[in-house]
Amino acid sequence: MSATVIPETSGGGLSTASAMRRNFWRGVWRVMRRKPSRLAGAVILVGFVFMAVFGPMFYPDNLPGDADAITRPPSWEHWFGTDPQGRDVLALVITGSRYVLLSAAVTALITVVFGTGLGLFSGFKRGRWDTVLMRVTDMKLTIPGLPLLLVLATVWKFGSPLQMGLVLGLLGWGGVARAVRAQTLSLRERGFIEAARGLGLSTGHIIGKELLPSMAPYIAMNMLIAVTGAVYAQVGLFFLGVLPYESNNWGVMLNLAVFQAGAMITPYALGYLLAPLLAILLLTLGIVLVVDAMDEIFNPRLREE
Amino acid sequence: MAQPETAPPQMAPAPVPAPVTPAPGVRIDGLTVVYKTSAGELPAVRDVSLTLEPGSITGIVGESGSGKSTLALSLLNAVQPPGRIAAGSVEIDGLGDVVGLAGERLRKARGAHIGYVFQAAQNSLNPLKTVGKQLLDLGRSHDVDDLRGLVREAKELLGRMGLDGARVLDSHQHELSGGMRQRVGIMLALVLNAHLVVLDEPTTALDMITQANILKIVREVHAERGLTTLVITHDIGVVAEVADRLAVMYGGRLVEQGPTREVLGAPRHPYTRGLIQAIPRLVGDIDEARALPGRPPTLATVPERGCVFRERCALRMDICETDDPAALADGPRIVACHAVGAKERT
Amino acid sequence: MITATGITKTFKQRGGVLAGREVHALRGVDFSIAKGGAASFIGESGCGKTTLGRIIAGLESYDGGEIAIAGTPMTPLRPKQRQPHFRKIQMIHQDPYSALNPTRTIHQTLQAPLALRARQTGRSKQWMEERAAEVLSLVGLDPGSVLSRYPHQLSGGMRQRVVIARALTVDPEMLVADEAVSMIDVSLRLGILALLKDLRERLGVAVLFITHDVATARYIGDDGELFVIYRGQVVERGPVDTVIADPVHPYTQSLLSAIPVLHGLEEPGEQPVVPLESLDESQADAGCLFARRCPFRDERCESELPLLQVTDGVPQEHACFHPRSRSVIARPLSGV
Repeated sequence: MSATVIPETSGGGLSTASAMRRNFWRGVWRVMRRKPSRLAGAVILVGFVFMAVFGPMFYPDNLPGDADAITRPPSWEHWFGTDPQGRDVLALVITGSRYVLLSAAVTALITVVFGTGLGLFSGFKRGRWDTVLMRVTDMKLTIPGLPLLLVLATVWKFGSPLQMGLVLGLLGWGGVARAVRAQTLSLRERGFIEAARGLGLSTGHIIGKELLPSMAPYIAMNMLIAVTGAVYAQVGLFFLGVLPYESNNWGVMLNLAVFQAGAMITPYALGYLLAPLLAILLLTLGIVLVVDAMDEIFNPRLREE
Repeated sequence: MAQPETAPPQMAPAPVPAPVTPAPGVRIDGLTVVYKTSAGELPAVRDVSLTLEPGSITGIVGESGSGKSTLALSLLNAVQPPGRIAAGSVEIDGLGDVVGLAGERLRKARGAHIGYVFQAAQNSLNPLKTVGKQLLDLGRSHDVDDLRGLVREAKELLGRMGLDGARVLDSHQHELSGGMRQRVGIMLALVLNAHLVVLDEPTTALDMITQANILKIVREVHAERGLTTLVITHDIGVVAEVADRLAVMYGGRLVEQGPTREVLGAPRHPYTRGLIQAIPRLVGDIDEARALPGRPPTLATVPERGCVFRERCALRMDICETDDPAALADGPRIVACHAVGAKERT
Repeated sequence: MITATGITKTFKQRGGVLAGREVHALRGVDFSIAKGGAASFIGESGCGKTTLGRIIAGLESYDGGEIAIAGTPMTPLRPKQRQPHFRKIQMIHQDPYSALNPTRTIHQTLQAPLALRARQTGRSKQWMEERAAEVLSLVGLDPGSVLSRYPHQLSGGMRQRVVIARALTVDPEMLVADEAVSMIDVSLRLGILALLKDLRERLGVAVLFITHDVATARYIGDDGELFVIYRGQVVERGPVDTVIADPVHPYTQSLLSAIPVLHGLEEPGEQPVVPLESLDESQADAGCLFARRCPFRDERCESELPLLQVTDGVPQEHACFHPRSRSVIARPLSGV
């Protein structure tokens, strides 16, 4: 018979799982290196995670206030100045980051797990289940988020970041579910899914091994965007002051800076106002820069080249 | 060459009295088109020389990556970045060297002088507008004063191709079948009175019977309107059916050209020979069909030096590794192969 | 190996002006293929040949008729019970680009069905690796260089070979090849066709070949049967070479007349049949389905539907009231 002649390649046949994983991370590194901005984004994100995990350990539970240095502008001693109780603003931002990021992470997790799960199920099963689930999703999408949060805040104090994340997550999965469903519907018509069904592969395999990896960039992007959304939402709530000032929080800082320290009228409190804003801005920037790399990380073609 | 510069007023199409301009000849000389990639600039078309005689139908056959579509785009000077024409010239009678044209003059030349029927005509129609609206857009962008005349001409062309002109002009793309869209594509290419027509894969994705009809129309319209036609395809059958002259491309090079019947009847280049032998036939011993070994090169794997076909060639010699075979003419036939050249000399 | 009788399939048009209108994709198709045999269906797009292939491969349901795989009728079985039977029939898709998951290596792609099989038969991981290499060798690929690659690193021809290798992992008894080479580069097509032919001969795999290109059908199985299908009805059926050389149905004759002539090697057939082009898709269903386009129609053709039958002096089955052999295909020039 006439076999196609294939040029010999060196290093072929290496196909164990660990080698594949190594190749994957090497590919990720290649993608990140391609644009310096992505590396910067990754560094920013890693920095924030580090700050949230370890930052609070460097400070006592109750930050010491300096009664002689109330609402000071930035200086060498206090990089972003001090608050009306004489506490260091930078220390406040760092200790506050844990609440913000932890709740954002919980939100992202719930959004992605719920949204992806429902979207996949709906898109893959189609038929009656799909109709019911999508009606539920539509209904959920019509619930106005902010007013509901305001109402909830009157009965629930959101003292723990987990509670906050849970509520935001349960409010936020609708969009992801719809998007994932649309992706599933288009992917399931592709030849390789049909082939998998024809080969008798299980639904679990088809969803987990064939569909999910193809949607990974999409899901990862949605997750990062959900993080941004969650940060804005909770900071907004605290800023509006509908939640008690129980914890160190960027939103609480903004609120105090504006309404207590008078950052709008006195330049002394400017650092107090700018520090949390800058933190939010940096975090968003980091996420946006990293999102840019997602497509290439999860697409083997773009990753390898 | 006889009329290197044409005055702009003459270029504006006058649809009503349709002056019988003679079919233009085209001389492509030493054309090289390169694409910028991460590995540097790679040639998609390398040192191609081809003459389209006035009034002839020429067919270019090639596989994916052979550079045939890039060559066709060069005729319009429409190679898109990251590609660019690196060397050579494309002389079209009445237009001069197209490679030097730019801006407004180039835009006007397309359509008015050169009609182009794109690959898969369904993609070249706007799904949101009726065919008639698109025809008027085309007329306006070429400053046609007599739009009524343009519509009349379009209806006549469509009628000639066996369609109800008025109905087709009122239709959206999705209301037309593949064969009808292809006819609309041909109409749009010809309605501005172009006399040089390029058809890129005119029958891909069409059914056999529709394909036969379209090819018949191409032949007839070509003769009736006095055109110079270039057909680009991967299908030797299509070329065999319509073309007077056949040119075979491989890896960016023109490896063989000549009168269609002669090339098909007695192919000289090993690639042409292999290609023809790989066509299963309807009669005779079916096992005479032989597959070509190896696979066609891509932009990245085309060898920098030597013959582009040597990897798959049975007649390969030492010289093929190092020297690009020159395109040698023997009467109307041109072949670029060391092995064939050697045989002829002895 | 497989026997299909009276397969029908009707689609309901959804949405649009034609909503609710029924489209008859298949109107009672009969055929059977023996173990290692071949059958080819030719016709234009939309004639129902792709739907037939999908039904035979178990990817789509059928409305009427019966499919028996290795003697077991499928209709009484529930979908779950049908699956192991249909698994013996594997589909080779037209597009090798979408048929392989771009995020999985060839190794992963082959391992999934092999793992399933290994679980069912209690075989080892070692066997899976060996079998993966074996099926790749069967389709003419070098396992060492292909296994660790992603689909995008392979050419179209190589991908189609991988698709065939994947089908072979479940030891199929039949392959359904739907336009399996139409998206492959011309110089590589014959290699894929030769592979299918080779699998027939070496492994005894039957092939259901669906195409618009009669010559490739002849290459795959000149010992098999050729079915010409038009608007869901088989209009002519017989041994491949008989139908090609002496077609009696005007539609078959039109299809064969439309094949480009390789001038210089061939001369056109003596009595080519040029059908009227069907510009009106919503044709009435009364009478012969081909009547509107048929150059030889008469009154009877417009009112009565001819069924597939055998008549005196015609070796093959046909669905035409006026079967007449015409010499339509190109003849090789003598001396070439």
